[in-house]
Amino acid sequence: MATEMAMLHDVARCSACRACMVACKQWHDLPADMSTPFKGQYQSHADLTPTTWNLIKMNERTDSMGKFHWDFIKFQCMHCQKPACLLGCPQHAISQKESGAVVINEDLCVGCGYCRANCPFNVPRIDPERNKSTKCDLCFDRIEHGMVPSCAKTCTAEAIAFGTKVDMQKLAEQRLAEVRTNHPNAQLYGVRPNGVGGTHMMYVLPEPPEVYGLPVNPKTPDSIDLWRDYIRPLGKIAGVGAAAGLAGLFVLNRLLGKKGA
Amino acid sequence: MLIDNRYVPRHQKTFTICHWLNGISFLMLFLTALPLYSDTFLFLYNIFGAKTLQYMHRFFAIIFILTPIFGLLSARKGYATMIKEAFSFGRDDLIFLLKFPVTLIGIEPKMPKQGFYNGGEKVNILLQMCIWAALVCSGAILWFGTGVVDNSIRAWMIPIHSLAAGIGFAAALAHIYLAVVQNPDSLHGMTEGSINARYAVHHHGAWVDELIKKGKVTKKEIEQAS
Repeated sequence: MATEMAMLHDVARCSACRACMVACKQWHDLPADMSTPFKGQYQSHADLTPTTWNLIKMNERTDSMGKFHWDFIKFQCMHCQKPACLLGCPQHAISQKESGAVVINEDLCVGCGYCRANCPFNVPRIDPERNKSTKCDLCFDRIEHGMVPSCAKTCTAEAIAFGTKVDMQKLAEQRLAEVRTNHPNAQLYGVRPNGVGGTHMMYVLPEPPEVYGLPVNPKTPDSIDLWRDYIRPLGKIAGVGAAAGLAGLFVLNRLLGKKGA
Repeated sequence: MLIDNRYVPRHQKTFTICHWLNGISFLMLFLTALPLYSDTFLFLYNIFGAKTLQYMHRFFAIIFILTPIFGLLSARKGYATMIKEAFSFGRDDLIFLLKFPVTLIGIEPKMPKQGFYNGGEKVNILLQMCIWAALVCSGAILWFGTGVVDNSIRAWMIPIHSLAAGIGFAAALAHIYLAVVQNPDSLHGMTEGSINARYAVHHHGAWVDELIKKGKVTKKEIEQAS
């Protein structure tokens, strides 16, 4: 498929049933994760893990008016238009598909963790056993066969929509107007170009991003450009240059002979 | 007192041990990280496994971090001298820096007498201190900073770490070249802790004068050994 695709999570519709989490695990053959101890909380896992690529975060909150809120958000890789992980990978192990899906090639990944340090959303998780980086891949394999990602297909509340980017942007605006009736602070997230170029994982947020623990102004770090375009090539040239220069000096030294050095 | 009527005592044993710990750990740190930076060395990942080399990098990082701490406790005199000398930069040191490059092509310029550490050595000490700090800080944030330090800061640690490593490697190459190729007599200082009197008088004349003044060596034995 040559069209740019996108996924839209209408957070106001989400019932936090977590069917999307199960569908993700089923499609990718990810095992159940016992890494988070149960402390009486509703949220199933404290954080994304190498075997949990999609997480429904649930936050209990009392606002300034004393009103109780239970904020849900489906959290996973945002599939940025300008992906920091891809740009900062020393092994060029991450690629961006035509659909917009950002995918890690495990054969090339060496588990260095640069993708995790560079990600403005702190998404990739390095599997310590296999020494590979992992994250949501937008079910790019399903998309390439004309199918819809597992999570979107399963959603029981029709909170996750999937289609062309243009369609999802239109749908987002539509849904925003509806959500604004009950949630005056509602806003779109990732729908329009931002510091990461816009994301292929879009949201209609009933509240501002910080309520959901999302960065307000996510930005692909400038440090990556500095590292990739200047420091890395400079290092290679300097290394070879220094070695060559010293080899030359060594020869010169021997030829001229040392005078009581 | 000269050792064997030839050598001027220069570095304490524990200080020389710290030097080699530092050098070897830096080299190993560089080698274990090289496959990530140069495709020419990617074969190292294929032979030893990326996970193994990444673990070794952390192992040698611990040694690299602990060596100066160990040194400040066990080689206090050596470290105190080093720090004192490096931060007392004078006119003679500047002249050394300006004139010494010609020695690389075999010319012997007229040089003011140098102290315990010459101007170039002082610059090397300062440079290595800065590089050590940059590497340790950026490395620690990359290693332990997940979830503690925001990624907007962590991302910058990657180019800082790379830059410091690159400069450090270039400095190390120059350091090794000068010690092994240009001034092989200096090696005795780091292997046995002493340098021969002739070398000391020629390269660190001001220091020898000081030793004579303090009564650590006599002018006579220096002249006999030179």
